[in-house]
Amino acid sequence: MILKVEEINRVVQATILPEEASLSNADLFKEEMITILGQGVRLVIVSFENVNYIDSSFLGSLVVALKYAMPRNVDIYLVSLKPDVKNLLTLIRMDKVFRIFDSFEAAMGTLA
Amino acid sequence: MKEFSDQIKIVFDCNREGIPGTLNVCLTHIRNKAGSSRADDALLAKIKWVIMELLTNAVKHSGERQSVLKIGVSPKMVVLKKEDYGTPLMLVGQDKKKIMWPLEKLVRPMGFPIYHNGMDSLCVRTDESGKATFFIEALAEMEMPALLSDTSEHFGLLIMTKASDEFAYEHDPDTGLNSFICTFNLIE
Repeated sequence: MILKVEEINRVVQATILPEEASLSNADLFKEEMITILGQGVRLVIVSFENVNYIDSSFLGSLVVALKYAMPRNVDIYLVSLKPDVKNLLTLIRMDKVFRIFDSFEAAMGTLA
Repeated sequence: MKEFSDQIKIVFDCNREGIPGTLNVCLTHIRNKAGSSRADDALLAKIKWVIMELLTNAVKHSGERQSVLKIGVSPKMVVLKKEDYGTPLMLVGQDKKKIMWPLEKLVRPMGFPIYHNGMDSLCVRTDESGKATFFIEALAEMEMPALLSDTSEHFGLLIMTKASDEFAYEHDPDTGLNSFICTFNLIE
């Protein structure tokens, strides 16, 4: 298991547990995300609070999850990204397709 | 990398479990050699991303049990070179045409776009020798980034191209040696 999951009112907080989000766990992340997205939720907030670095394989899995979510009308927000991780997402323009927030609370604030 | 008399050479066993340890060895060497004044945190972060991608590429694509990572540090630059004798590079252009090394003499030099994410077009051009240099052409922003229609396999190339000052690939048809070379200019 790579994600610690909590669900309240069809909103899921999914915290990535390892500090390396990389080739070694990208497939598992994709599988766990697709399982969550298939359970009728409306929003998945992925927390990167533990992640110190990320690679292209994991970023690919993140995009696959988003592509799976979009036709199901599920949003994916990303929160608590450390500067290196956020800068890498920005470098390849992934900040244009994901909504990114500083914290879980800030992401939840959009749901009023 | 002739100008780097004290370059280090790291043999990487092309397994994903070995990536974090190898990454740390590389970064420690670069920090020690370059010093924090010329390799600030932002530059070291970019170097870290590129080393990650070079090692990930070795695991995913080389088909070899071992790759060699050479690191050279001079007063002006850091050069990372990943070498292996595995499967040569194959690129698929945006027109779905496949380009494989070694390139036929007839097609050199050449250039074509590989991938775009709606804002950046990742392109490659080769010289007469077949050496490929990757570069980015800026596109006008699109409403729906193409990031969502073309995933993953090009992210690594995109990261290495955008994070480094020069990113190139060479294939020696006589020996079968593949080399990915990333150059970073140090702060003056």
